[in-house]
Amino acid sequence: MQQMGEPATSAASYAAWAGTVEELCRLFDALCPLAAALGMPDPKPTEWHGALFGKLRGEVARGPFVVAAVCGGTNTGKSLIANTLVGAEISRSVPEAARTRHPVASLPRGSAGDIDLAAVFPGFQPRPWVSDDDALAPVDDDRIMWREDPSGHQAARLVLLDTPDIDGTLRENWRRAELVRNAADVIVAVLTQQKYNDAAVRDFFTSAAAAGKTVLVVFNMVDWPRQRERIAGWLATFTTETGVTPLAVYAAPHDFAAAEAGRIAFHALPELTPDGGTAGPGERLAGCDFDRIKRQAMAGALRVVADPRSGAAAWLDAFDAAAGRWRDARELLSRESRVRVELPTAPRELVWNEIWDWLEPRRSGFDLTVSRVYRVAGQGVMWAARRVGLARSNEQKREDFSAVELGALKQALTDFIERLDDACRRDSLLGEMLGTRLATADRAAWYADLERRHASLPLVSEDYRGFVRAELDRFARENPQLVGWIVTALNAGAVARPAITVGLGLAGAAVVPAAAATAGGLTTLVHHVGDVVVGTAATLAGEGALGLTAVGLKPLLERLFAGWSAERGRILAETLHDVVLGDRLDEIDRLATVAARPEVARARALLAQCSRECA
Amino acid sequence: MTHDDSTPAAADATSEADFGGFDHLVESLARWSGSLPQWPPAGRVQAEWQAIEPRLDRARRELSRVLVVGVIGGTGTGKSTLVNALAGQMVTDAGDVARPTTTSPIVVAAPDVDLAWLPVEAMGARVVRSDAAAVANIVLVDCPDPDTQAEPDAAGSPPSATARPSDTNRNRDLLEAVLPACDVLLLVATAQKYRSWIVAREVAAFAPGRPLFFVQTHAARDPDIRADWQRELESQGFTVPRIFRLDGVEAARRAAAGLEPEPGFRDLVAAIDEELVGRAARRVRRTGAVDLTAWFAQQCRGQLEPLRGPVEQFAAGMRAERSRLEGLLATAISAQLRGQRHGWQRLVTDEIVQRWHGGPFATFLHAVSALAALWQRVRPAPGVIGRLVTGGAAAVTTHDTTGWQSVAELGLSEAEVEQSRTVLAGLATRSRIGEPLVGRARVEAARVQPLAAAVLDRTGQWLGGSIARLVADRRGRVAGPLVHWTFELLFTGLFVAVLARAGWSFFYGHLWLGRPVGGTGFLQEALVWLILWGLCLRWGVFALVRRGLDRDIAAVVAGVPAARLVDPLLADFSEAAAQVTEFLDDGDRLAAEAEQMAAALGGPVGGLGRLRAISDRTRVS
Repeated sequence: MQQMGEPATSAASYAAWAGTVEELCRLFDALCPLAAALGMPDPKPTEWHGALFGKLRGEVARGPFVVAAVCGGTNTGKSLIANTLVGAEISRSVPEAARTRHPVASLPRGSAGDIDLAAVFPGFQPRPWVSDDDALAPVDDDRIMWREDPSGHQAARLVLLDTPDIDGTLRENWRRAELVRNAADVIVAVLTQQKYNDAAVRDFFTSAAAAGKTVLVVFNMVDWPRQRERIAGWLATFTTETGVTPLAVYAAPHDFAAAEAGRIAFHALPELTPDGGTAGPGERLAGCDFDRIKRQAMAGALRVVADPRSGAAAWLDAFDAAAGRWRDARELLSRESRVRVELPTAPRELVWNEIWDWLEPRRSGFDLTVSRVYRVAGQGVMWAARRVGLARSNEQKREDFSAVELGALKQALTDFIERLDDACRRDSLLGEMLGTRLATADRAAWYADLERRHASLPLVSEDYRGFVRAELDRFARENPQLVGWIVTALNAGAVARPAITVGLGLAGAAVVPAAAATAGGLTTLVHHVGDVVVGTAATLAGEGALGLTAVGLKPLLERLFAGWSAERGRILAETLHDVVLGDRLDEIDRLATVAARPEVARARALLAQCSRECA
Repeated sequence: MTHDDSTPAAADATSEADFGGFDHLVESLARWSGSLPQWPPAGRVQAEWQAIEPRLDRARRELSRVLVVGVIGGTGTGKSTLVNALAGQMVTDAGDVARPTTTSPIVVAAPDVDLAWLPVEAMGARVVRSDAAAVANIVLVDCPDPDTQAEPDAAGSPPSATARPSDTNRNRDLLEAVLPACDVLLLVATAQKYRSWIVAREVAAFAPGRPLFFVQTHAARDPDIRADWQRELESQGFTVPRIFRLDGVEAARRAAAGLEPEPGFRDLVAAIDEELVGRAARRVRRTGAVDLTAWFAQQCRGQLEPLRGPVEQFAAGMRAERSRLEGLLATAISAQLRGQRHGWQRLVTDEIVQRWHGGPFATFLHAVSALAALWQRVRPAPGVIGRLVTGGAAAVTTHDTTGWQSVAELGLSEAEVEQSRTVLAGLATRSRIGEPLVGRARVEAARVQPLAAAVLDRTGQWLGGSIARLVADRRGRVAGPLVHWTFELLFTGLFVAVLARAGWSFFYGHLWLGRPVGGTGFLQEALVWLILWGLCLRWGVFALVRRGLDRDIAAVVAGVPAARLVDPLLADFSEAAAQVTEFLDDGDRLAAEAEQMAAALGGPVGGLGRLRAISDRTRVS
C-alpha cells in the first residue's frame, strides 16, 4: 500500500507493520479465551480491541479504499443523508425511529470484486443489496448490505455507509454502529439541536475522535435560517465534549415535505469549517486527500491500541492482575484445604501375615515349630475368649475396622468439603470456580462414591502384596546380612506373639504418607490434595518389644505399614479428585499460571514497539 | 376550573371499601417481607419493601393532598416549553440555545397551595407560583433530563484526558432526587427521542406505582409517531390508553396571546383536570398504591421463583437425610435389641419370678437368676440399650453422655451425622441458605454434648416405653396361672417321682422286702436329673418368651421415623427448610392477592397509563 510512510521505505515498512498487526491479533485471539476464563470482561467493546481488530487488521483487505460512515442518534435523518450522499436510495428513510437495523454500504461502481467486506467489517456477514428495505429487516444476525453505486457518481475509492442508531432502545443497533465506526476512516456525524449533547452521542464521537477518524458534522433538522446563529454554540459544545475537529460543518434545514420526498439540502457553514471551504458534503468527501485520511485513521487506531492507559497494554496489565488473583486463590486453596485423615490403626496381623508369608521359606525348622506351637495355643486361647465374649473373631475385627475406617474417611471428606466451602466464601474467584460445583453437585453421591471405593478395596490388595514382596526382596538384596536379623527378630517375635495378637489395637497412631497418591491421573492431587495426606512416617509403638530397632529394619517396617495405610487413604484422594473437584483443580492451576505464558510477553514487546513508533 | 367528579359516587364508595382490603394486604406484605431477614433473598425483599413502604404510607395518609406531576423526557423534547404553556407564563428557561437547558428542577404551584410537605430543599428545586387554571389543583415539576449526564461506567469509552464541561453535569442525579416526590409522570417525547434507551431506563425505574401521561411534542414539525411509540411503550410493559400530541411552542404562544388553545394542548389540560383533580386524585393515588404493591409483589415473585426449585430440593434432601439417619439408627437398635437375648430373658424371668410367688420351680428359677446376676456383674451389658434392656426404663435417666461416642451405638456416628449435614449444607447453599439460619456442617465441639444428650434422651424415652410394652406383652404370655402351674406341675412331677421312688425303695424294698438300703447315691443322681429337668423347663419358659421376638423388635423399629429421634441432629436444617418454604408460599399467596387487586382496578381510565410489567429490555440492573 503505497500511501503508508515514505515512498522509499513504504513497502518494506508496511509489510513489517502488517506483520506486527497480524501477530498482535493472533496473540490476543489466543489470550482472549484465557481472559474470559480468568473472569475478565470481554474486550470486544473496548476501544483498543475495536481499533486493532476492527480497523487495523482489516486494513490489508481494504486496499486503497476509504470507508465513510453516516452515524447519529435515532430519527436524526441518517438514512436520508446517506441516500443523498450516495445519490440513490440505499436505505429506506421512514418516520419511525430506530428502524435501520443493519448497515448498508455503497461501493464505487465496479469495485465489488476488489474489496473483501467480511474482512473490512469483521463480525458482519456481507449480503448483496436487494431493496431499500434490507436495512430494516428485524433479524438478529449481524449483516452488512452492499450495493455498487448505481449512479456512478461516487468517488472511485470511497465506500459510503448508512448505519443503525447509537442511542435507541435496541442495544444491538449501538453495537453494530460501533463496529462500523471502528472500521471507518471518515465519520459523517449527524447531529440535531436535541441530540448534539446527549451522553450516548458524545461517547460515540469521542471514541471516533480518539481513533483519528476524519469527521464531517451535519446539523440536521435546523430551523433555517432562524437557528443558524445557534449552530456555532452547539458545535463548540460538541467539539469541546468529544475532541472532534471537524473537516467541515453543514446545516440541513428542517423540511418535512422534502424529507418525505427523499430530498435534503446542505448549507455549508464556512465560518465553522477550518479551511473556510464551501463545498458540499458530497464534493468534500470526493475531494479528500484519501491517503492522508487513511494514514491519519491508521495512526489514530494504532495510538488507541498502544495507549498505555486505556490500550492493549492496560488490558494486559489487567490480565496479569486477574491471573495474580488466581494465584492467590490457588495459594489459599492449598493452604486451607488440608485435612488430617485419622485412620484407625491397621489390624497389625494383616501386614505381619504378608511378611510372614514372605519369610516362610526362609525360616529355620525350630523357628517354624515354635511358631506353629504358639499359633495353635494362641488360637485355642482366642477361641475360648471369643466364647465368653472377651474377644472378637478376626472377621468381626475386620468388619469393625472397616466401619471405623470408612467413618474416618467420611469425616475427612466432610472436613475437606467444609474447608472448600470456607475457601469459596473467602475468595470470590474460588467461589465462582468451585462454589457452583460445590452447591449444585449431589453431595450424597460423593459419599456414595467413597463408600463404593472403600467397599471394593480389599483389606490387603494384590497391589499391596506386590509392594510388600518387592520391598522385602529389595531389602534382602541390599542387606543380605540383615535377613538373618529379620529371622532372629521374628524368632523373638514368635515368643512374644500370642500377647501381641490378643492385645491388638495397641499400636501408635498411623499417619498416611503420600506415597500412594501417585497413581495415574492424580498428579494434580499430589500437588494439592497430596499435601493433605503427606505426613511423617508412622511410628510403630510397641515394636521395640520385637527387637526391631535394629538398623535398617525399623524404616522398612514403617514403610510397609505406611504403604498399607497410604493405600487406604488413596481412595479418599481419588474420590476428591474424580468426583468432588473434577477438573477444577487443573483449571485453577492453569489460570494461576497464564500470566507467565509467552504470548503475554510477546504481546507486550510488540505493543512497546508500536508505542515507540507512535511517538 | 371545576373539580369534575365524573366518577360515579357508587364506584368511589366501592373502592373505599376495597381500600380496607388493600390496607390488610399492605400489612401482610410488611409482616411477610420482614419475617425472614436472615435469608439473603428475603433480606433483599425486606430492603425493597422498606424502599416503597414510605410511598405507600404517604399515599394512604395524604389521600387528599394535591398530586405532584413530574414532567420528564430527554433534553430538547420541550419539557420546559410545555411547563411554561401549562403555567401560562415563563416560569422556566426553554429554548434551543444550549443543551441541557434545565439544570435544576422547577416546581410550579398555585399561590395558595401549601408546599410544606414537599421536600423542595432535598430536590434542589426552585418554587414558582402560578395562578394558571391548568396548575390550580396540581403541583407541576419541570424535571432535568436523564440523557446528558455521562454514564458512570460507559463501557469502552477511553478515560478522558482533559476535563469536559459535561463532567459536572448531574442532571440525571437531580432527576432521580426529584422523581420520588412525584405521584404522576408526564412523559414528553419527540420523534427523535421516543425510542431513547436512557429515557426508557429511567422511566422504567420510576414508573412502578406512578400513573403516566404520554405526550408527543413538536407536533408542528415532527411526523405523528404515536402509533409506533405506543408499540414501543407496550413492549416495555406499559398500558397506553392514549398519547397526546401537541406543540408546546404554539401552545405557549397562544396562552401568552390569550388565544384559544390548540386541540392537543386543550385535550391534555382537560385530561389533567379530569383525572388528577379532586376525587380523581384520590383514585389516582389509590391506583398508584395498588400498582406499586402489585409491582413489588411481582418483583419479589420474580426474584424468588428461581429459588423455589432449589428450596424444594433442599426440603426433599432434608427428608432423605433424616430417613437415612433413621435407617442407621433403626438398624443399630434392631441389632442391639436382638443381641440382648440374655438380657431379655433375664428381664422377663425376673418379673415372672417375682409374680410366681413360692412354688418349687419359681424357687429354682430364682436361684438360677441369682447366679446369672453374678455373671452379669462381672460383665455388665454395655451401652444404653443394654442397660435399658437389663435395667428397664429406669436406666434411661442415668446415661452418661460423652459426646459422639454416646450415640455411636445408636448407629449415629460423627461421620454419618456430619455426612448428612454436609449434604444438606450443599443443598442449603443452592437455596442461598447459610449461617445463621443453619449451622455449619461440622458440629462445633461445644454443641456436640447437648445434641447427643438430646438424641439419647429422646431415644431412651421412646425405647424405654417400647421395651416396657414388649416386656409386658411377653410377661403376659408366661405370667398367667395356667402356665405357672403347668411348669410347677412338670417340675414338681419329677420331684414327686423322685420322692416316691425313694419312699418306695425304703418302705417297700427295705422294710418290706428286707433289701439293703441303697445309700444317698440315688439321691445325688436324682438331684442332677432334677436340675437338668429344671433347666430344661427354664429353656421352655425362655422359648415362650423368645417366640416372635424378632418380629416384635421389627415392629418396634418400624416406629423409628414416627418417633423423630434424629431430629435434634438436623434441627437447624429442617427449621430453615420449613421457614423458607413458608416464606415462598406466603409470597406467592400475597402476590396473587396483589395481582387480583390490581386487576380489579380495571383497565386504564381516561388518558392515564400504567406500568404493568417490567420488560427485560429496560430493566434496571
